Amino acid sequence: MVECGRHLNIELLTLAEVEGISGKEGNFQVKVRQKPRVVDMDKCIACNLCAEKCPKKVPDEFNEGLDKRKSAYIKYGQTVPLKYAIEMETCIYFVKGGNKGVKGKGKCRACEKVCPTGAIDFDQDFQDEIKEINVGSVILTPGFKPFDPSAFDVYAYSKFNDVVTSMEYERLLSSNGPCMGHLTRPSDGKEPKKIAWLQCVGSRNINKCDNGYCSSVCCMYAIKQALVTAEHTTGEVDQAVFYMDIRTHGKEFEKYYEQAQEKGIRFIPSRIHTAYPGSEGGVSVEYFNDQTGERVKEDFDMLVLSVGLETSKGSIDLAGKLGVELDKYNFAQSSSFAPGTTNIPGIYASGSFQNPMDIPQSVTEASSAAASASVALSSQRGSLTQERTFPQEKDVSAEEPRVGVFVCSCGINIAGTIDVKELTEYAKGLSNVVFVENNLFSCSQDTQVLIRDKIKEHNLNRVVVAACTPRTHEPLFRETMKDAGLNEYLFEMANIRNQNSWVHGKEPEKALEKSKDQVRMAVAKASMLEPLEYLSVNVNQSALVVGGGISGMVTALGLADQGYETILMEKAHKLGGNAWNLATTWRGEQIRPYLEDLISKVENHSAIKVYKNADIKANKGSVGDFVSEIDVAGEIKAIRYGIAVVCTGGQEYKPDEYLYGQDDRVFTHLEFDKEMSEHKPALEKAKGAVFIQCAGSREPERPYCSRVCCTHTMHSAVELKNANPKMPVYVLYRDIRTYGAREDLYREARELGVVFIRYNPDNKPRVSREGDDLVVVVRDHVLFRDVEIRPDYLVLASAIVPAEHKNLVELYKCGLNSDGFLQEAHAKLRPVDMSVDGMFLAGLCHYPKSIDECISQAQAAVSRASTILSRSVMPLDSIKSYVTENCDGCAICVDTCPYGAIALTDYERDGGMHKKIETNKALCKGCGICEATCPKQGVYVHGFTNEQLRAQLLAALENV
Amino acid sequence: MSQENVGAVMVVGGGIAGIQSALDLADAGYYVYLVEKTSGIGGAMSQLDKTFPTNDCAM
Amino acid sequence: MADNNEPVIVGFLCNWCAYAGADLAGVSRMQYPTNMRAIRVMCSGMVHPNLVVEALERGADGVLVLG
Repeated sequence: MVECGRHLNIELLTLAEVEGISGKEGNFQVKVRQKPRVVDMDKCIACNLCAEKCPKKVPDEFNEGLDKRKSAYIKYGQTVPLKYAIEMETCIYFVKGGNKGVKGKGKCRACEKVCPTGAIDFDQDFQDEIKEINVGSVILTPGFKPFDPSAFDVYAYSKFNDVVTSMEYERLLSSNGPCMGHLTRPSDGKEPKKIAWLQCVGSRNINKCDNGYCSSVCCMYAIKQALVTAEHTTGEVDQAVFYMDIRTHGKEFEKYYEQAQEKGIRFIPSRIHTAYPGSEGGVSVEYFNDQTGERVKEDFDMLVLSVGLETSKGSIDLAGKLGVELDKYNFAQSSSFAPGTTNIPGIYASGSFQNPMDIPQSVTEASSAAASASVALSSQRGSLTQERTFPQEKDVSAEEPRVGVFVCSCGINIAGTIDVKELTEYAKGLSNVVFVENNLFSCSQDTQVLIRDKIKEHNLNRVVVAACTPRTHEPLFRETMKDAGLNEYLFEMANIRNQNSWVHGKEPEKALEKSKDQVRMAVAKASMLEPLEYLSVNVNQSALVVGGGISGMVTALGLADQGYETILMEKAHKLGGNAWNLATTWRGEQIRPYLEDLISKVENHSAIKVYKNADIKANKGSVGDFVSEIDVAGEIKAIRYGIAVVCTGGQEYKPDEYLYGQDDRVFTHLEFDKEMSEHKPALEKAKGAVFIQCAGSREPERPYCSRVCCTHTMHSAVELKNANPKMPVYVLYRDIRTYGAREDLYREARELGVVFIRYNPDNKPRVSREGDDLVVVVRDHVLFRDVEIRPDYLVLASAIVPAEHKNLVELYKCGLNSDGFLQEAHAKLRPVDMSVDGMFLAGLCHYPKSIDECISQAQAAVSRASTILSRSVMPLDSIKSYVTENCDGCAICVDTCPYGAIALTDYERDGGMHKKIETNKALCKGCGICEATCPKQGVYVHGFTNEQLRAQLLAALENV
Repeated sequence: MSQENVGAVMVVGGGIAGIQSALDLADAGYYVYLVEKTSGIGGAMSQLDKTFPTNDCAM
Repeated sequence: MADNNEPVIVGFLCNWCAYAGADLAGVSRMQYPTNMRAIRVMCSGMVHPNLVVEALERGADGVLVLG
């Protein structure tokens, strides 16, 4: 969020909505209506005084209406922009006649009186502003609305305060919510000791609402809430989750589910019908114990309804205004082969507006949409973006430190507790300090100008700002330094707000003493700061894609279409990978025509070089400049590239159970697909088919869910029934995981008469042969007895396993997770980046997924790679290690570096060979572990050298 | 009205998906207009206490 | 100890976790004693053992290395 707010090329338009659009892809005119904030954003410092004094209370939507906020408000404490707003629709001044040209009619104006910067001025005319904005493409990400369960009268959501939605529960758990992180139940403020979750409220339901789809995230979030609840209460909490199927089909999700079971959270397969009033407050529910068949009545202190994700009315209207078609569930319509597109070229949809999805997928889809949105515009890349320019930097290396100290009052945030006048006087007496000033708000635009002028006027060559945390405004001040002609690394901050005035409000004298120490420490460090070289690496603006399946080909095509030369390597003799063995997508779209067209596009693209029968042998270098040796059908070639995307895929696991390999009638899904397409007549005469789910997945050897198999089974089962409606078809399952709109296939299968039998992993179906018959025996979960089926076909929904990745790990230092899939840099925030800079991944090598998800991930990798490839020079942060003369090559530090950035080299001096280390600036992250390990002062981190840290330490303890 | 392509993109909705799209595009050399209905970005994710599967905070 | 008999604690706080946590405590207005002096580091692994020893030698009553 902070990046977004600061980015020179992102213009944030808040309190704004799209009204209409005209034009076409590449050149749209969008009409945007922006409501007045009333608070002047240039002046607001988010001090909260206006909200404190505002007399008008309204329900707080951020807290789902559980408590109130004021008409003068900030959405939440960490939002961007961190500025307050006045809600004109509820503010007493506006509602009672203000701003209608009749001044003085609206009363109040309390906020205007107390605002310390004059950011509120009611004597203006506040009108909506209509902006006409010219853009090349549009991405729609308006998100979702949690389902409102008021319609479900049996759950008594509107009647019982202790029946809450999951979003309300999140707010109750949150430390910035109505309970401040200490969970209490709404009715009486008691700490709940027994909590139950009801799954699928407003999803998978065409009876009481129109949401036949699965919202995909609720099982996971309910488990998360149950796990996290323990951290927000004291003592034991009993938690139960009532479900139909537990859908933990994402990466590492199955382990999360197992962890929850081990922690004692109860999972009860039952659809609760009604919430009755509990005997001591709270609620009471009834269900049947699935093991004993007994009816149970249980009291709970709270009931959490796991509500589904819907498209809001505002988003439906938005789609209407733009002419964007929505599917029957009001999600943006698109095809499996072009995820994120809409019916209008140039307009894309992403996130939960596209389909209900979790955060990792939202981030992936968002990057994917960015790639799609920019392809048509690639010729215009850089045309409208700006780069800041700065004056020539002054060389201060020969000068004595001349430190300027700027003490910030931050309105009353600092000055209200700390005597800033005395602090300013104190600072004047510190050695090396030649100028001190007290400012009301150091971060404001006008103070930046002032600082710049004072630097020039007093010839300052080091600057200390005593104010808030460097984590907020250090980048801002660094720019001011550059504006004044100083190296930006000659700057230090003393955190006298977040780590002083805000936390020592009741002890002003001690706070003042501490602030003096803090300023003294900052000045001591600043005096020792050296100007740092601005580093950069040249970027080789070309790419390598490893793996020529659908993921690899889409990636290569995406990169090439963006204008980057791309090498595509494939291990086998032809492109296409697993897709050759698949007939249709789950939506019924034919794969073969798409695949052949894709291969043709890739092989004929002028910017793509395809190498088949190819393998990587050796690799050197880092982001922007990789050099590899590859073997192409026996011939060795050297290739250079700036980034690499790994799409090495996965394969179908061959089971070792259920008579697989021992009987012709036992198939895996891919084998059965082939059987269905080649032997249709035999199929139609078959006397029955059985599908066994989770063959090889969700087991100790492979404790993950292969995600696509339930959907594949539904698809095949429906096909069988359509060929022969009378054929008995059975699905033996643990949980049916047809997430999203795939749920429609599950419903269709049931409607066609497919029989579903749930089995337990400790009582798996038994397969044997009796005479000519294949016999499948399974314990039926309703009858509680064994059922025997003699089918003609037994299809095993077999696991997906990753390709062999050991050599990649060695060559590139990629990470693998415990199941052998490639590890991304961050599960949620960087789902297609790998920890190694400049390397990305997409497809099955990351985790099992369907074709549309592979294509999205591939496009996301293109987008992420473009952020590096779009520049010919990549700036690096200067906080990096450097080697001093003291290094004698003992090499103790080499292995401690977590980024592999240190290497030992030989050099000649005085006629003899010596050793010392060399650090790679592109790989080094400035963590300083080498500095702390070195016994000889041989390696330091710029900006955080041992001497600089020591100077701060000595300054801290000066008076002790 | 010019017939040339415009090197700018509009992202409608300032939740996690909108933010990610905006950052990718801006870093790749396009000007981005991020349009948000409420007074601040962050969307539904900012309302979550923790996020699965790592249970770290939403901020 | 300082003159007023209050213990002096030196804290090495890593930028990404501990320092950010201390900032968040400030945003939440949590109140705590004034005894600690924080030194910001990029990673707690950056703290050389000599720094810890010297802190104690020079009179710090305790050293926190938080990462």
